[in-house]
Amino acid sequence: MEKVLSINGISKKYGRIQAVNALFIEIQKSQVFGLLGPNGSGKTTTLSILLDLIKPDNGTFEWFGKPPSKESRKRIGSVIESPNFFPYLSAVRNLKIVADIKDKPYDDIGEVLQIAGLYDRRNDHFRDYSFGMKQRLAVASALLGSPDVLILDEPTNGLDPQGIAQMRDLIKMVAQKGITIILASHLLDEVQKICSHVAVLNKGRILFDGEVRDVLAVSELLEIAASNMEQLHDAISHYPGFVSIVKSEGKWLIYLKDQIRPAEVNEFLYEQGIVLTHLAERKRTLEQHFLELLNDNS
Amino acid sequence: MIKLLKIELKKILTYKVFWILMGLYFLFLVLGILMAGFIINSWIDDISKHSPIPFPHVIIYLFPDIWQNITFFASIRFILILPAIVVIILITNEFTNNTIRQNIVNGMSRQEFLLSKLQLIFFISLLITIILVIAILIIGISNTADYSMMIMFKKISFAGGFFFQLFTFLIFAFFTGFLLRNTGLSIAFFTLYALIIEPVLYFILKVPKLQPNNISRFLPVNSVIRIVEYPYFPVLKKLMGLNVQEQISLIDCAVPIIYSLVMVGIVYWVLSTKDL
Repeated sequence: MEKVLSINGISKKYGRIQAVNALFIEIQKSQVFGLLGPNGSGKTTTLSILLDLIKPDNGTFEWFGKPPSKESRKRIGSVIESPNFFPYLSAVRNLKIVADIKDKPYDDIGEVLQIAGLYDRRNDHFRDYSFGMKQRLAVASALLGSPDVLILDEPTNGLDPQGIAQMRDLIKMVAQKGITIILASHLLDEVQKICSHVAVLNKGRILFDGEVRDVLAVSELLEIAASNMEQLHDAISHYPGFVSIVKSEGKWLIYLKDQIRPAEVNEFLYEQGIVLTHLAERKRTLEQHFLELLNDNS
Repeated sequence: MIKLLKIELKKILTYKVFWILMGLYFLFLVLGILMAGFIINSWIDDISKHSPIPFPHVIIYLFPDIWQNITFFASIRFILILPAIVVIILITNEFTNNTIRQNIVNGMSRQEFLLSKLQLIFFISLLITIILVIAILIIGISNTADYSMMIMFKKISFAGGFFFQLFTFLIFAFFTGFLLRNTGLSIAFFTLYALIIEPVLYFILKVPKLQPNNISRFLPVNSVIRIVEYPYFPVLKKLMGLNVQEQISLIDCAVPIIYSLVMVGIVYWVLSTKDL
């Protein structure tokens, strides 16, 4: 796997507030990496440090295995905060400036404007665009010159439902091309729908990171019942990977380590002479899980 | 190198405010040059009233003195303030539109950002100077009956002096805009300082007993303005004695150079070390 970004313990303090606290992250090529956290958890500060807008107090980071430079930034397309363009220039003129800075030809401009659905309004001044169009122009600008990495900070913020759907489709389309994506969001649902990997951030620290399905979806429960509930309780406590058990509505809810395999549990109990009258997988909602991750560590 | 200037020119090519202000500047410049002769002759009339011998009217558009006279009128504070406002708008726009951040994010280094603005200021100064030189040549040739190449270009160093004045003055404007970041505030502060505060300071500091080591010449705007300090015509020499400027003095240029270097140094330091 090719390493795109490695962050080695960056920290940033604003007065008394520790915005980013000794952050370590590694992102590999073609990952869709989500930075998930509530507002003020340090997502934007982290992205700003990665793009040389903010100087970290401590720590280093590398893009493409090299210390950060303007050359590495030319390989990155980014949409951070609000769309920043010259209001009195047309979309095309604004994008030509971007292309000049990135040392990229103008050939792509028509194409990225088409992708963003702005081709027909390409000669209009940026100031005459609606908010959604401005946001889409920012995406078009980020896509200019086929970047290796796309950084998106809250890309669906302030968009209407249709705009949100379009933006997500666009991100998925980009991801399919094998472009590495780093997406900061406070919306769990968004990260879950789009990302392959995630780091959950709170108060500038990483609480959890890994593949989305491990971090956000693995915490499943098994609901079991048998005619003799006491015997069942004793038997299941000896199951390898057993974590804890609670009674709920006349059934046992068991938490297990690793992946849950109902068939194995059933077989294990059958060998102990217990016949289950009820066996069901239950998932905690993602919101519950997200809040739990935040609460456990605050 | 030229790439940065190209980017800057793209930013202003279709920017109406830029062209309107530059147009206004050239309008003032033309009016200034046309009125200059009239102003000076009414000044001479005034002096003649108090003098036993009346002074004759002068033509200020003759080679070689036209170089000095026109660059003098082109560089009075009230005219020079217009391109300074243009520069302030161009730099503060980068902050109000957040495009400075976007430029950095897209792959411009912070030092390149400074360099691109310095190139733009250099380019604007050069362009204005070239236009002025062409105007001087045209006006000079049509007014001077008899001239040789020697006489024609004798005082061309004033064109260089004017370029230097304009360039350093625009650096001051750039510095103000960069530090204050807000367009209205920067224009108000810079205009107030250059047109009112400093002339008042100059007047206070220029009390007679301090004359020999007059520190007023070290005031930043004044140090720029005095590079072409007076217009020149023979009668003035008679009026004021030998103390009339006839050439650009390189020593006079030292003070604005030091100011400019310090200002660019501060901007470089802020850009290199601070968050954007």
